Amino acid sequence: MIRLLTYLIRNGIVTRADSFAELPETSNGMPKLSDNPCLGDACRVCEQVCPTEAIRIEPTVAEGATLSPCVTLDRGACINCSLCVDLCSTHTIVTDRDPRTASKNREELVLRSSEISKASKESSRLVQNPFKKSIACRVVSTGCSACDQEIAAASNPIFDMERFGIHVVASPRFADVLLVTGPVPKSMHEALKRCYGAMSEPKRVIAVGTCACTGGVHRGSYSESNGIGDLLPVDVYIPGCPPHPASIIAGIMLLMDRLPGLHDKKKDK
Amino acid sequence: MKVEVQNLSLQEREPQIHELVRSEGMRVGITSSIDGGQLITLLIDPTSGRAYLFDTPLEAANYPCLTRRIPACHWQERILWNMFGLVPDGHPRLKKVLLHESYDADFFPLLSERYLSRTPLQEHQGQYQFLEVKGEGVYEIPVGPIHAGIIEPGHFRFSCFGELILNLEIRLGYVHRGIEKKLTQVDWRKGRFVAEAAASDSAAAYALAYSECIESMFSIELPYRAKLLRTLALEIERIGMHLADLAGIAGDIGFIGVASSFQRIRGLTFSMAELLSGQRFLRAFICPGGVVREPTKLTLNQISSCAENLSNQCKVLLEMLLESQGVDDRLRGIGRVNLSLASDFGLVGIAGRASGLKYDVRQFRSEYETFTPAFHKLGDVLARVAVRAEEIKMSIEIIRSVLARLEIPGSSYQPLPDRLPSNSVGLSIVEAHRGELIHLAFTDEQGCISRYCIKDPSVNNWTALAMAVRNNLVADFPLCNKSFSLAYSGHDL
Repeated sequence: MIRLLTYLIRNGIVTRADSFAELPETSNGMPKLSDNPCLGDACRVCEQVCPTEAIRIEPTVAEGATLSPCVTLDRGACINCSLCVDLCSTHTIVTDRDPRTASKNREELVLRSSEISKASKESSRLVQNPFKKSIACRVVSTGCSACDQEIAAASNPIFDMERFGIHVVASPRFADVLLVTGPVPKSMHEALKRCYGAMSEPKRVIAVGTCACTGGVHRGSYSESNGIGDLLPVDVYIPGCPPHPASIIAGIMLLMDRLPGLHDKKKDK
Repeated sequence: MKVEVQNLSLQEREPQIHELVRSEGMRVGITSSIDGGQLITLLIDPTSGRAYLFDTPLEAANYPCLTRRIPACHWQERILWNMFGLVPDGHPRLKKVLLHESYDADFFPLLSERYLSRTPLQEHQGQYQFLEVKGEGVYEIPVGPIHAGIIEPGHFRFSCFGELILNLEIRLGYVHRGIEKKLTQVDWRKGRFVAEAAASDSAAAYALAYSECIESMFSIELPYRAKLLRTLALEIERIGMHLADLAGIAGDIGFIGVASSFQRIRGLTFSMAELLSGQRFLRAFICPGGVVREPTKLTLNQISSCAENLSNQCKVLLEMLLESQGVDDRLRGIGRVNLSLASDFGLVGIAGRASGLKYDVRQFRSEYETFTPAFHKLGDVLARVAVRAEEIKMSIEIIRSVLARLEIPGSSYQPLPDRLPSNSVGLSIVEAHRGELIHLAFTDEQGCISRYCIKDPSVNNWTALAMAVRNNLVADFPLCNKSFSLAYSGHDL
């Protein structure tokens, strides 16, 4: 016992002070679009290598005098394999090291090169957010367990999401939000709907991971694994395959309307 | 690995395979089909790692089952019925495993249309029937498919008497996504992403198995460095998952300080994974032909210092776990599976080795130089914990040795031709952290994959859990469950 206590004390506090720090240099992160113009029809490598058809290069659109092809990158379908980033010769697609990738609507996950500077608007709620201070989450897994393990990691000593008032609970009866991971294959449709039905109002749904957002690599299979969009109303989408624990915490905090911006993230220490 | 297909007639199939299993000590790796017109049986010699593939043409949709005399096949023959509509005559407990009531009764995803007409008409079985234990005072506890913790879905039906579990029936298939079919539909160069998504906690093992399966069709020898980097990924994954399982067990018995420390040092394996591959789960790293990125010398040094740190921390924590009287007391004798059951049901990985089966695929691979599997005789939760602890230490040693050998520069990627060879067979067997993972693929005349068959280690081991919990307390179920650490998604595919 004394040995264990000494060991624990010696290791000190390991919880990260800066929860939403940029991902390390070695990390693949998610892809994003930069200002660099795309080569368009001359290249199209990213379109070909993308395993989930998340990238589309639209026919060249006229923009005043210059012609620039429009790249569409759907992060909701991206499994962050980073092949597009590695192969993009013009660096139009680059790595995004910001872990705050979640979004309140599906369209915002689709990035377009022609509107890079678009400021994402917060959807304003007239009523005050009931989950501002604390939120109880119920996790329903319907996939490959990577997202589940990252949710579990989000409550480990390093990320420790409980300090933000985020708890994982064991029953939908006392949960505020349903975290759904995985593409929801046919055999889970009924169970998921019943789980949602067992929650009391007000209730929210978060799609954790690319599979839950769109089905990811499983999209279009005979098991109808196309994500949760057709089954439940989704409040927040967290893309990534799997999303980083920091991204998951950021997504839940987005729902709580407490997500710090990059400039004021130090306040959260 | 290369494998020759041998023909075996239907009459000879059952007796001959039984003979090979009984007298030669072989294990049945896979029993499946390509398109419903034949049976394929993969036998593996667990003492040499050699594989033998048999092809049996079928005239009808019925065949004599292997399960009667080789119980290890019982689960795979159920899956075979689900996916192809092939009926194993004499199977003692034929029930749907993967396709639930929400699917049509006559829907067989992998059956070719050619054989559809001869498939017997399927009656909808209605609601799934669980085995009922009758008697005064016997009651049932249904659990799942959605569990209380953060885990994948599956249904457990306990029949209990007082606090004792008399029978546990496990119903899986909730996360059946149709991976095997999908792998025949996508370009083989993109297939690795689908294979990795089958069970992401074994992403490195799945990517490795997929890549080796493809490479075996080309008969290409990879650069040694590529093999080493893949081994590095596989062992990092193994340590990480073993630590997570130990954390779970320690947490369940209330040894919280050690549990959270295991979780913390699991973070180190994530860092190592991220350094090596850019992904915490080592995804998108191993590809057919080698690995996608070559780590710099600096990265390898960082991984090396992480490994040393991990080694020191593991030493202290594993000692605290295994030398604690309380832990020994709590885990000894719980969830026992004896050697004869383990070998009858063909258990693999930790579950098999903790019961005394000295089968580990790594002993047949050149990257590991000399390798002796860790094993235990007791077959209880404590034995499985001890084998895990031993394997963590061994994996750290392997990482050290691999890193030393990586000092010599070289190429880590070998380009492959664009088209797969036509009418060929690919096979790979990998020791994932849960045990023997087999990938078997067939191509058609055009060089497209016509059938991709995956045997996850959990297919063998779920039965072990059901056997282990018999006559144990209901409250000990979580411990038994975590000690086997089975995959739902890998099983359901």
